[in-house]
Amino acid sequence: MARILVIVPFPMSDAELAQRASQAKSARLDPALELEFRSVRAAPANYASEHDSMLAEISILDAGKQAEAEGFDAVCIDTMSDSGLAALRSVLDIPVIGPGRAAMLFALTLGERFSILMMWDRWRHLYQKTIAELNLDWRCASIRSIGVAPNNRTLLAGKEGDVFPRLLATATQCIEEDGAEVILLGSTTMHQAHAYLAEHLPVPVINPGPLSYRLAETALALRLRHSRRAFPTPLVPKPRQIEAMLTAAASLEARR
Amino acid sequence: MPKILVIVPFALDAEGIGRRRNQLRAVKLDPDSDFHFRPVKAGPTSFMSAHDWTMMDLAIFEAGASAEEEGFDAVCIDTMSDSGMAALRSVLDIPVVSPGRASMLFALTLGSKFSVLAQWQPALARYKKAIPEYRLERHCASVRSFDMPPNFDQLLDGKQEAVFPRMLEVCMKCIEEDGADVICLGSTTMHQAAEWLAERLPVPLINPGPLTYKLVESMLALGLTHSRVGYPKPLTPKLPMVHAMLEAAARQEAESRGR
Repeated sequence: MARILVIVPFPMSDAELAQRASQAKSARLDPALELEFRSVRAAPANYASEHDSMLAEISILDAGKQAEAEGFDAVCIDTMSDSGLAALRSVLDIPVIGPGRAAMLFALTLGERFSILMMWDRWRHLYQKTIAELNLDWRCASIRSIGVAPNNRTLLAGKEGDVFPRLLATATQCIEEDGAEVILLGSTTMHQAHAYLAEHLPVPVINPGPLSYRLAETALALRLRHSRRAFPTPLVPKPRQIEAMLTAAASLEARR
Repeated sequence: MPKILVIVPFALDAEGIGRRRNQLRAVKLDPDSDFHFRPVKAGPTSFMSAHDWTMMDLAIFEAGASAEEEGFDAVCIDTMSDSGMAALRSVLDIPVVSPGRASMLFALTLGSKFSVLAQWQPALARYKKAIPEYRLERHCASVRSFDMPPNFDQLLDGKQEAVFPRMLEVCMKCIEEDGADVICLGSTTMHQAAEWLAERLPVPLINPGPLTYKLVESMLALGLTHSRVGYPKPLTPKLPMVHAMLEAAARQEAESRGR
């Protein structure tokens, strides 16, 4: 029995968390694998600026920093931004998977060029950062948005009739006009649209959350984890200080 | 009289801040410019892993987030890591300048390839990440370290005789073996060696802190600031939360020292 911690990047109610967790159903997973979804204690309101990215990093580091001591075998981060990925890798010896980097690299095992389909333009910087780090510019055919502000708690529930056809039309443009051979959903919050798009599009559609669970399973099965050369440990880890900062942040959030 | 905030990335005392402030002497500045050095409230102890960078981003952001309201005209960040720069630019309309990317770009106005002189091996990870992110690999001849653990407070004080010749030797390898046209000091903490090295090297040496003071003066003089398209504002800023976090961090730091 392997236990995987899935870090959800916004504080959520149990019902909202369950909606996030439902993405696991779309992929066949080893039945011996147990996914535990955990929300961060405080977070930016959305992921639309560098201010937000900075808060995302520390809140995800806080949520996962003890994962190994708590007995988890791997960690998945439930955001395409890969926020907190490098920081968690620096303090954990178990596999830590972020779907952003993973989805781009995985797409290239299925086709030569990918496009990223996003809800709105305010997410563009998240992908551009990973594309720059990986030097994948010419592999990325395009990043297109449908121009609809996302709701990171209710996701796409109730908006299917409006949003799904728009996603399909924009993904078709990525394929026909930009030359995409694979489509990436730009956010784990779009997972409810995956089955519909996969059915209607002529190219593979990557659902980033479930892909990350499969990759965690694969890393465990192959006994592989991140390179310590690429992600050195801190000389002086400060878990208590991070804990204290997020406790302060969470109590302020609660007062609102 | 332009007021410029210089954020020092470690929680140093007055003496430590003084050593950082000495960088002002290395460059001729507008006599009207008024530089204020301010340390962060708390932060990482070392600076070599993503754990440290995450904490540093937040600490520097917190120290500068209110700079505009406080009446500053610009902000400089005193670290080659550019920690906190992007986040500060997202909330401030005044220029925010940091030496990492800026010194590499400036080096390319003086030559076609630069090398970065790093303090020690563990510092290399940061440059390995930053240089591709900045898309500057093809212009980077090498990153070499002179293998001496850094002291962020004392800097190179008392180590001049042992360290300066070693730094020179590594710079010469960058030039002769790797093809560097320009050398970038890899950290503002090396500023005490800048003049000594510059006198002895056959190529320009960039001293990153003083460069930022000039750059910030130029931005103010030209009426330029960062692009809002490149650094969009947060829809929901959480500055009180960030301040509360750093106050909690400073308390925790004080408690752990007292223990």
